[in-house]
Amino acid sequence: MAEQQSHSAPAGALRCVVVTPETTVLDESADFVALPLFDGELGVAYNHSPLVGRLGYGELRIRQGSQIRRYYVDGGFAEVVGNVVSVLTERAIPAESLDVQAISSQLEANRQRPANTPELMEIRDRLVAQNRAQLRLARKA
Amino acid sequence: MVNPRALDRRRKSIRNIRKITRTMELIATARFKKAMDRAAAAKAYTDRITALVAQLAQAGLEVSHPLLEARAETKKAVLLVITSNRGFCGGYNGNVIRTAWQRIQELRNEVPALDVEIAGKRGIAGLKQRGVTATHTYLHFEDKPRFDEVDELATRYLDAYATGELDRLEVAYTKFLSASRQVPVVETLLPLGSLEGLEEGEAQSPAAAGQGTLQYDFLPSAESILEEVVPTSFKVRLFKCFLDAAVSEQIARRVAMKAATENADGLIKSLSMEYNRARQGRITSELLDVLGGVEALKS
Repeated sequence: MAEQQSHSAPAGALRCVVVTPETTVLDESADFVALPLFDGELGVAYNHSPLVGRLGYGELRIRQGSQIRRYYVDGGFAEVVGNVVSVLTERAIPAESLDVQAISSQLEANRQRPANTPELMEIRDRLVAQNRAQLRLARKA
Repeated sequence: MVNPRALDRRRKSIRNIRKITRTMELIATARFKKAMDRAAAAKAYTDRITALVAQLAQAGLEVSHPLLEARAETKKAVLLVITSNRGFCGGYNGNVIRTAWQRIQELRNEVPALDVEIAGKRGIAGLKQRGVTATHTYLHFEDKPRFDEVDELATRYLDAYATGELDRLEVAYTKFLSASRQVPVVETLLPLGSLEGLEEGEAQSPAAAGQGTLQYDFLPSAESILEEVVPTSFKVRLFKCFLDAAVSEQIARRVAMKAATENADGLIKSLSMEYNRARQGRITSELLDVLGGVEALKS
């Protein structure tokens, strides 16, 4: 936590840090960050109040000037403190490298999974939701 | 008398082996550094998760989750043994296998159904020798375990745990304590027991010092975040087991190869001495022959 505090954001802009268990994917300043929260999208601009949010499967959008970068994030958490947006996720894939074909076939396979108990149904729904979110983003990119 | 040429041949072959062990030592050193970097990168993630849990605890949230509670009865257990695919790393694999074997015998008495899963060729061979057949084996974990690969396993365990097919998960691996100390351990990962950062958070909450005064918004709710934090910290812990094992393997290999290189140095030295002595001995005897011949001619 102390380490996180020591990194401060540049004046007038946000600092966006995306961390996965393997590496720090992204660490740069941004004007605006849209987080795919569990129950809908949340926009974060400069001087946002501190928050901890649960991420869903969806698109992380980072705007810097006129440039917009898109990532697919696979759940996780977001923390906003002192103009630093930290995104903790298991996977962050740039939208350009998503493959529509592969995801579609994966989605089809996952839809066929057995769902005869509530737990299995939950597992299936999770996988299908992930694939659908990937597909949405891949088609947009 | 020893044949100097045979000695020279032996010395040459030892020199070649020394070259190999020396190279392996250097490679292991380089890989060890890379593996360390990866472990450090993973630590950034773990630290943030820990901080998050501390914040949740500070917010006065009752922490309870099915993954945190032990089941009343353990019907089915899984022991995951993490070893390496390659040898030449001293006692690394042997130690893990011995620790795992001990635990397998204990678990067989305690739990009606036990599955053993093994990562790494060495572990598969070592436990097969002891009559343990693995239900799952993994060979694709090398010195750079990827989170995706570990995630696959973790999700399978979580799903099995949720559906009641699994009541207990233990992992036998080499824990990395410091660059000079790694110990083979067996850890229970499911049920998770407790979350790291929980105590700190609770300890801080009355004082609410410094950063504790920040009021966080929890979206959608603290409970919902907790629901996600628990499986995530399980995955991260499993990932850390693999990373630790990878780092420890490289250290073990480096130490073993260093010892081998030093031993080769010693052997070369003593063989050189023997060779020189043998050569000198031969020269002396040839000289004596010549001198003897001269003497014989004189008389």
